[in-house]
Amino acid sequence: MMTIPKSPSGARILAAAAAVSIAALALTGCGGPGTSSTGSTGAAVTAGSGEGTINVWAVDGQAAENDALKKIISNFESSQSKIKVNLKLFPSDQYTKAVNSAAPGDLPDVLDFDGPTLASFVYNGKMAPLKGSVSDATLSNQTDSIKSQNTVDDAVYGVGMMNAGLALWGNKKLLDAAGVAYPTTPEKAWTADEFTGVLDKLATVVPGGKPLDLSEQYGFAGEWGTCCSAGPVIWSGGGTMLKDNKASGALDSDANVKSLTQFASWKKYTDPNADGLAFTSGRVALSWVGHWTYPTYKALGSDLVSIPLPNFGKGTKTASGTFAWGMGATTKNGAAAGKFLDFLMTDQSVSTYTDANGAPPATKTALAASTLYGPGKQLQLLGDQLSKACGTEDQISDTCVSVTRPVTAGYPVVTDQVGKAEAAIYAGKDAKAALSAAARAIDQNFADNDGYKK
Amino acid sequence: MPARRRSAAGLSGHRLAGPLFASPALLGLAIFLVAPFVLALVLSFYRVQLNSPRPARFVGFEQYTRLFTDPDLAAAFGQALLNNFTFALIVVPVQTVLALALAVLVNRKLRGMVIFRTFIFMPLVFPLALTAVIWRLIYSRGDQGLLNAILGLFSGGSYTGHDWLGDPSTALGSIIVMSIWQSVSFQMIIVLAALQSVPTELYEAASLDRANKWAQFLNVTVPGIRNTLIFVALITTIFSFRLFDQVYLLSRSGSVDRASTETVMTQIINTGFDNNNVGQAAAMTVIFMLIITVIAIIQRAAVRQRGGV
Amino acid sequence: MTISKSLKSGRRGGSMKRTRRWQTALHYLILTAVSLFFFLPVYYLIVGSFRPSAEVLSGISGFVPTNLSFDNYTGVFEHLSSEATGYFGQFAAVSIIVTTVVVAGSLVVNSMAAYSFARMQWRGKKVLFLLVIVLTIIPFEAVALPLYFMFSSQRDTVYIQAIPFIANAFSIFLFYTFFLDVPGEIEEAARLDGAGPFRTFFQVVVPITKPAFATVAILTFLAQWGSYLWPVLMVSDPTVRPLPLAISIFQNQQPPEWGQVLAFGTMFIVPVLAVFLIFQRWFVASISSSAVKG
Repeated sequence: MMTIPKSPSGARILAAAAAVSIAALALTGCGGPGTSSTGSTGAAVTAGSGEGTINVWAVDGQAAENDALKKIISNFESSQSKIKVNLKLFPSDQYTKAVNSAAPGDLPDVLDFDGPTLASFVYNGKMAPLKGSVSDATLSNQTDSIKSQNTVDDAVYGVGMMNAGLALWGNKKLLDAAGVAYPTTPEKAWTADEFTGVLDKLATVVPGGKPLDLSEQYGFAGEWGTCCSAGPVIWSGGGTMLKDNKASGALDSDANVKSLTQFASWKKYTDPNADGLAFTSGRVALSWVGHWTYPTYKALGSDLVSIPLPNFGKGTKTASGTFAWGMGATTKNGAAAGKFLDFLMTDQSVSTYTDANGAPPATKTALAASTLYGPGKQLQLLGDQLSKACGTEDQISDTCVSVTRPVTAGYPVVTDQVGKAEAAIYAGKDAKAALSAAARAIDQNFADNDGYKK
Repeated sequence: MPARRRSAAGLSGHRLAGPLFASPALLGLAIFLVAPFVLALVLSFYRVQLNSPRPARFVGFEQYTRLFTDPDLAAAFGQALLNNFTFALIVVPVQTVLALALAVLVNRKLRGMVIFRTFIFMPLVFPLALTAVIWRLIYSRGDQGLLNAILGLFSGGSYTGHDWLGDPSTALGSIIVMSIWQSVSFQMIIVLAALQSVPTELYEAASLDRANKWAQFLNVTVPGIRNTLIFVALITTIFSFRLFDQVYLLSRSGSVDRASTETVMTQIINTGFDNNNVGQAAAMTVIFMLIITVIAIIQRAAVRQRGGV
Repeated sequence: MTISKSLKSGRRGGSMKRTRRWQTALHYLILTAVSLFFFLPVYYLIVGSFRPSAEVLSGISGFVPTNLSFDNYTGVFEHLSSEATGYFGQFAAVSIIVTTVVVAGSLVVNSMAAYSFARMQWRGKKVLFLLVIVLTIIPFEAVALPLYFMFSSQRDTVYIQAIPFIANAFSIFLFYTFFLDVPGEIEEAARLDGAGPFRTFFQVVVPITKPAFATVAILTFLAQWGSYLWPVLMVSDPTVRPLPLAISIFQNQQPPEWGQVLAFGTMFIVPVLAVFLIFQRWFVASISSSAVKG
């Protein structure tokens, strides 16, 4: 498990020290540090009887999403009598760690995962390929973008109910009061400079003088910052987070410094939204957030408009990819897990879920039947953005809109560092310094892990 | 004390009783304190991750050299250390003086004092996680925040809301105030007990010398409780280095800049747990332990001087 | 209170009566201001827990007790109503079980060790006691990460939240200082009655050193009830989540329901506050003895 130390005298001391701690471990009768058995190829799925209880882990999301998920599960349980579902919800900032630090025997049968963490989970041997457990009909009904998110090394590890999208939600009444005309298609997105002018105008019509909500309540120093806040800003400004698996020269580029500094300059227009009510109560005119607030925001009725995020030079950009479902690497009940996944992907389940969070459905049939997405429907903009997919960071063009977050087993450190840097810049620190430090930390981590190559 | 001698000798008749009595606690300490401590030392020489498919790799002193020479890591670790030292530098004198002032304040027989004392002691039973949640709302940015609202009220509206936790220049200060709120009564109780044990004759003698109250305080009270004050200052110093709960909780809420409040402990957990870089975090743990040891040695030295007072 | 008496007796003459009245008034003024500083956050917590979420974060009016209802409390229970999210009662049960096990365990285990060090003669005692004294300086934080590494396979269990905290070097030391003061005659008498070391300790020594046990119990309780770092590392599963971790997760829910968060906090603290109000004297005594003895 541990390689042999180089210096002979040090070796004795270390060996003695290790012996003490291992003796202590043995005394307690529990296993040593589990650095051993899980290998990325060692997945051991057993089909099992197709009956019994399956354990399901999911991220603790919006209240409405959680309720929808519970409803789907109870539908599943009443649709048949052999399989019971034991659901556990984990807070989002702990989820990756919960999965990555779970011992092989503790992994659930079915688990939720965020698109960009998939590579890391597969690398760490936490996920099993779905082929053989999930029906072919389910797999072929997945939309292309979600299928590519859920594929690692040509094997499909996940199926998704939904896709994701970001927008500036606008309050038409306030926009009109300030005499602001707003764009409705990605091509016409405000430039960042125009946006500052818009904010100046809007500041005069809102009660607190802070017309913008940037979803600070989610915390920039987490996944929200990377995916949905710093990400679109960086990509729209013509930058990337990584280039050829390296962050130095990419994350700390002048373009990123300029874009993020401009983003931070909007702090003075921004309502912290600590109560989550800034938009619905009319305190702000614009809210930078994802599809999942639609069920709440639609209370504005016809005053609710969706506007593309500001353009930092290379066209408006949004992040795509989101939570999907996969199977634990060591499930002993693959058949039952597969049946549950099939049920999750039925039109009825998908619409129950996406009605609750306003997300674009990720199955072909449910998307076709959607009452929100498609030409002339209320969330047409988000659908349009998704159809203009860029692929990954290195494939961005001026006209595409939806960018897939970096696909690498090192994503956890990328998101940690990018989020931390964004929070520092937003707090008023020097952008160049913050981004360079983040870039070096990412590169160091990649080097320590041999570039996450197998 | 001949009696004690004899009884002890009597009990030693049961040869195994002594070790038997001590063994459960000693075993617990060995497993849960000594072993992990040794393990930290061992791990700090490795590049190792928990549950990783790749084996641990021996890297000698690399984790330590990186901590002190790698420009970013050294800067981040230095910043965390600096935050701890700043915290200690402010909290130790402020909290010690405040504990003394509060103890003097409530150490007087006045009607209703029991109620005042209860109010002041109350935060003592508040877990830090709960304290941080309440103060997060108090510090909330914009004029919805309670603190901003109160300041706005007193300034007659001329004051505009400040981002207490988000602004790097006030973030640490805000955490300091909340920490003092939660823990000053602990120190105050200790000082209060010491105040009440200063012999009354000393005050009588002083007042016969026509010393005024302030002079009595300086010449009788303070020297009389000197050792307690040293003790309080030292436990507060150690507490300053253990700082974790409130910082960790708040740094994950809202748009807080982590670097401005990062402490050694939050960095250890961020490195070893969030980023799964166990070897690096173990090296930080070892340095953290060295600092605590130095403080403890100073404490021993100060206590040894007690006889001289 | 002996000092204040003597201070008063030191003052003479009625001419000072007036100044003294002013001083007393000033004293009350300062006391009130100080008490407000300490009490307002508590008041805000409790009043906010009965107000609509939208009105909790609304500037100064957050203090005004209007629109009171129990909605936030029912909201907490509705929000936490399945195994998936965990139940409030379950969080509380985990905290209560863990704290009880730690407090009870530490009273037994540490007092026995301390008694052995203080009153028994055995080989190796001196060295081991010195080691215990040295260990009092290692805070839990210093070993948290390696301990997590050692026991990561025991994550998400209740026992792993409690067991590491039972043996405690500082508690041993506190007991030790108390046991040194036990008169030897008492043990001698017990021995003459034919009592062995176990009976002597549990039936004779323990009953006369109750304050030591109260002190350790209260100090251990205060440290354990709010324990946060260890659960952060060791607990992901909502069914074994203790209260401090639970509130830190509950406060991050989206969309935020601050009224419910404060209701959660109130339920977390009010029982403890009640115990504290009843046993305030004991709390104060145990804290002050932690310094005098230590």
